[in-house]
Amino acid sequence: MDSARGSPPDEQLVSAALAGNDDAYAELAQRHKGRVFGVASRFARDAAELEDICQEVFTQAYFKLRQYRRDSPFEHWLLRITTHKCYDYLRKRRRRAPHVSVDEMLESGHEPHAPQPTAAHPDLERLHAAMGELSDKERLVITLLELEDRSVQEVAGLTGWSASNVKVRAFRARAVLRKLLDKSS
Amino acid sequence: MNEPSENSKPDHLDALFATAREHRPDTSRAEYGFETRLLARLRERRQPDAVSLWSVVTWRMAPFFAVCVVALALWQAEVSSESNDAAVAAGLNNPVAGYVWEN
Repeated sequence: MDSARGSPPDEQLVSAALAGNDDAYAELAQRHKGRVFGVASRFARDAAELEDICQEVFTQAYFKLRQYRRDSPFEHWLLRITTHKCYDYLRKRRRRAPHVSVDEMLESGHEPHAPQPTAAHPDLERLHAAMGELSDKERLVITLLELEDRSVQEVAGLTGWSASNVKVRAFRARAVLRKLLDKSS
Repeated sequence: MNEPSENSKPDHLDALFATAREHRPDTSRAEYGFETRLLARLRERRQPDAVSLWSVVTWRMAPFFAVCVVALALWQAEVSSESNDAAVAAGLNNPVAGYVWEN
């Protein structure tokens, strides 16, 4: 797609970045940041966390660039890193923050996901609050499947889990979400 | 949406997911100038600061310093034992020191 417009393909930019060309890596970042920010924004609580996640994704990708085997598009490799980084953030956050139930969250008016544009959609606010009740793995799977509209196979590829594992987690997550939403409505 | 729902019909949850998909967070402000910040961070990571450089050098030199300390201790022990022997020998030849030694 890029070579059609005259700009070098990703693989060429990767080679140039490995040779020490920072501008080539900046071009790669500029090309793919939209997808990375898009996925990360589903997990980040605020703009600072979003920036942190994306910086860490591209920094890790830079230092592991030699491990990119070029058997799949660069973007797939980058999104795998993004998925793992988002999962790490979910786990870190879980360890730091005490557990708060959906009801408590809604009663206190606390918005669990600040970057989500839910102000005009109270239903979405409830959905995001309920998603905060899921386990980290369930939340990752349901976000990628339902909000990012990925297939089971794609989610399995991104997370490194088996397709059946992804299906089971998605099924459980949906059951929990239904229960929580029924309770809160 | 990828898996059939438990009731095999669109429910409230599916409708919520559809709305959430439509309302993708706007990240354009966060993306602005990202490459510049990223390159600055990469340069920072590639060039370790003076403190971390100093700690790396000291850790690498630790075995050398340990060998120096052991060698110095051995040399000191050797020298002190030689001087003790010399002092004893000198004391035996000195009548005053010999008297002090015996009493």
